Amino acid sequence: MDVFEAIRDRRSVRKYKAEPVPDNLVKKLLEAAVWAPSGSNIQPWNFIVIKDRKVLDMVRKISPGYFGDAPLAILVCSDKERAFKLGGELGRDYLSVAGCAAAVQNMLLAAYASGLGTCVVKSFSSTAIKHILEIPTEIEPELLVIVGYPDQSPKPPSRRQLREITFLNRYGEKYFEK
Amino acid sequence: MEKEKSDGDKYLFDLAVFLATSARGCVEEPHLYGPFRLVDALSRLIELPKYAACIKEEPFLAKMKRVIDEKKFLVVSDTEAFKAFLDSLVREFAKELKRRSLETR
Repeated sequence: MDVFEAIRDRRSVRKYKAEPVPDNLVKKLLEAAVWAPSGSNIQPWNFIVIKDRKVLDMVRKISPGYFGDAPLAILVCSDKERAFKLGGELGRDYLSVAGCAAAVQNMLLAAYASGLGTCVVKSFSSTAIKHILEIPTEIEPELLVIVGYPDQSPKPPSRRQLREITFLNRYGEKYFEK
Repeated sequence: MEKEKSDGDKYLFDLAVFLATSARGCVEEPHLYGPFRLVDALSRLIELPKYAACIKEEPFLAKMKRVIDEKKFLVVSDTEAFKAFLDSLVREFAKELKRRSLETR
């Protein structure tokens, strides 16, 4: 699949089939994630693959933004200790989050190209998820990626127009005339 | 009967977890997520009769649940349409409230 096609056609899926996600595809998503760029090459990410039905169910219940009954979720965490060691305060407070976001985008595109649906969730309780998944203090849960075979084809939401948000050489000078 | 009771208890507990985590999330989330969590909670609450036989299923509420589930995600795609949906939901409840009040007068 062409990369731009995946970028344009990927949607947030909130209804999934029960069919499990094969392990080879899970590995592919993780490999896509670790090839993301990260500031100061911190590679701040840690991943927790959640497949156990009971654990997944607990995570769903403490995540108000988690919709659908997907068979898999991947929690993307940042290692704040590593990020601080390699990137100082900027690394800990900003680059670690930006790096995890880039890794997540790679995962979403790899998933879409493999026929999988995904939805990124930030609306989960950090306190609860750290307790349930026994995550140490220095590791921060950043984003939860729900993964499964889609059972819906959501319509694309509207996008801000390029001509309204793109400037040439200085802010305010339009790049696109129309 | 015992199974039904335990299903109802479980459902109620899950709903409580949803409300507690939503309450904490609303501290930092976009302000429209507050109304979003409330209508989502309403949709979940309406499902309670499925798990507790002592509560009768209400056709009006079941209809409202269908509407909520169809429209609630407007919050992330079209905030004006989401607000209009909330207005229409309240109008439906007001109409029903009036109808029921006049019926029992």
